[in-house]
Amino acid sequence: MNGYLQLQGITKQFGDTLAVDNLDLSVPQGCIYGMIGPNGAGKTTTIRMIMNILVPDSGKVIFNDKATDADFKNIVGYLPEERGLYKKMTLREVILYLGQLKEVPGKEIEKRIEPWLERMNLGEYKNQKVEALSKGMQQKLQFITTLIHDPEIIILDELFSGLDPINIELIKNVILDLKKQGRTILFSTHVMEQAEKLCDYICMINRGKKVLDGSLKEVKDNYGKNSIHLEIDGDGAFLNSLPGVDQVTNFTNYFELALSDVSRSNEILRAIAEKVTVNRFERISPSLYNIFIQVAGADAVNPPEKGAADV
Amino acid sequence: MYKFWTVLKAEYSQVVKKKSFIVGIILTPVFLIGVTIIPTLLATKSISSPERYALIDADGRGLGESFSEALKRYKLDDDTTQATYKLTSLYEVDANDTKRLDSLRLVLDSALLLKQMKYYVIFYPNVENNDSALMVSKSLNFKTSARFDRRLSDILAAIRLDRSDINLPVDSVLAMTRRIEMIQESPGGKSRDFMTVYFGAFIFIMIVFVSVISFGQVLMRSVIEEKNSRIMEVLVSSVSPFQLMMGKVIGLGMANLTQIGIWVVIGIGLFSFRGAVEIPSQVAGVVFNPIIVVYFVVFLIIAYLMYTSMFAFIGSICNSDKESQNFLFPIIMSLMMPIFLLMYIVQEPDSTVSVVLSLIPIFTPTMMIARLSVIGPDTFSLADPIIMEATIGVFLSALFALFMIWITGRIFRIGILMYGKRPTLPEIIKWVRYK
Repeated sequence: MNGYLQLQGITKQFGDTLAVDNLDLSVPQGCIYGMIGPNGAGKTTTIRMIMNILVPDSGKVIFNDKATDADFKNIVGYLPEERGLYKKMTLREVILYLGQLKEVPGKEIEKRIEPWLERMNLGEYKNQKVEALSKGMQQKLQFITTLIHDPEIIILDELFSGLDPINIELIKNVILDLKKQGRTILFSTHVMEQAEKLCDYICMINRGKKVLDGSLKEVKDNYGKNSIHLEIDGDGAFLNSLPGVDQVTNFTNYFELALSDVSRSNEILRAIAEKVTVNRFERISPSLYNIFIQVAGADAVNPPEKGAADV
Repeated sequence: MYKFWTVLKAEYSQVVKKKSFIVGIILTPVFLIGVTIIPTLLATKSISSPERYALIDADGRGLGESFSEALKRYKLDDDTTQATYKLTSLYEVDANDTKRLDSLRLVLDSALLLKQMKYYVIFYPNVENNDSALMVSKSLNFKTSARFDRRLSDILAAIRLDRSDINLPVDSVLAMTRRIEMIQESPGGKSRDFMTVYFGAFIFIMIVFVSVISFGQVLMRSVIEEKNSRIMEVLVSSVSPFQLMMGKVIGLGMANLTQIGIWVVIGIGLFSFRGAVEIPSQVAGVVFNPIIVVYFVVFLIIAYLMYTSMFAFIGSICNSDKESQNFLFPIIMSLMMPIFLLMYIVQEPDSTVSVVLSLIPIFTPTMMIARLSVIGPDTFSLADPIIMEATIGVFLSALFALFMIWITGRIFRIGILMYGKRPTLPEIIKWVRYK
């Protein structure tokens, strides 16, 4: 594999815990790459090692066929999981300062500030202090500071946490635009539905180890269309006891049924329709969440987050 | 370098634009002048109303009367700072009547407490032989006590003279035994007195103290704030921790120098505006000695680098201002040490203790400048021990400052990303060794 960004055998131990264990990763240029896994899987530690904030105990980070160096810092846009900005500075000052730290001249940044603020619906706040913004607005501002220097590669840790659906849409569009411009985007999330809707490539991590990676299509194809996307009116408690249904995953407004035998799907539909009104019944590939459960075991994950399916 | 300058400029302008910077420019000199001038002013305040006192004379030879007479006569012509004394009552008591003596004392004690008088004095019998005189007061006024001592000594001298074979008038004997005060000069013939030297050195130490504490704390707070607001991770994804730290240290150092620069400009302005302030030549001799000024600037910079990197160290391992307070104590104490020891250094600038202490790097900037201003070298010559020692001090403390910067750099890069638990000492030592 010859990726744009490559991790080779990265390992990091904190005391007795092995946070990242001999992890290999290959991120192709110009794609959206999702690193997914439950909380505490080692995603943030991995990203910090890519950013050279943590030094791996062993292994290498290779970018564009070279070990990452000081220049890498200028062409990467990094949004850490824990967000933070200078509360007492104005929006303009924060963007200017953080942009200049990427060695982009102040004048150039000044030109970019307004279009970005407009795009994120923050235009009117340009000369206000950061503390005057709501949390969601601060998130958007932080997103701007991550991109103001027009980075080649963008690394976003827990990208969507703390954003409402409208802003998620806004930021998703920005990310898709960036991809069109040929930028490479690597992001991590523990909400797998998000990854499913956005990524070209995924890598699943559990307990510091890679359990699965590849293009989203490959991964899905490997599992075939053995699942049902089901939307019904009423209580779905009985679904578990239907014959031929291996597993029921309850997302907020739909169910995903894993079938042991796909040919029995009509029979199952009839059984469901007898009890409740069926609004949607569709054969699909299993969701990433269910794939993850299959490869990592059910105990590896917490149940899907409430509201996660709204993404 | 661009990144370093960006951090430096940001830190500098953040501090300089703050109101507290302007307030500091005004308040610090007010404070310094306050602590140096006010005690002198109070000590030399003119006293208009006479101070009241009572006398108990248990000696029975009319000592009380002559004492109060002598005190009345005693008045220097042009000295308005000199207190005058008014006798409220004179009690002549039989020494054997201890009951009356005790009850009198009780009455007078309460008079003291009610501020009806400031002192009372008791003469016991046979004073000239057993020094049994007593002065009672709420205050410890050494000037008054010296004055009373003198009057009584003169009276007793007259009594002793009467009994002796010497056949001379009392006044001429007293004139013969008059005591003098020697004028103090430093080698090279500059006259000075204790207070000027003391406060000259004090001002130097205070400037170092105020600069280091105030800007060190600003630095520490900014590190803690960046940790707490979690912006640190964004910063270190753009600049190296060392660039960040040095940008902060030097940026704030520039702000500090700006502040001192403004003081100097104001000072020169006032000085050249004749009549505005009169600086006594002794003070000018200590403060405007070019050798001392040059050493002072060098030591100020060294102290600044040494101590602010300690503050950066603390900031990087703490999560809140509150947590950092515990660590501030030793730093503040090591800066205060020279102030406590100043009285000693002024008296013994060349003692082994002074020399050794002033060569311990953390004390060097303040102690050495104190010794320099006491000794007041006129020419720069390494043959002069104080110049030699000060120069060695510069090198040792500069080395130590570099060491502090290095070690803080090692801690800083790890500490700034550690949230939550404060690291233990073994952990900190481990951080230093990390690659």
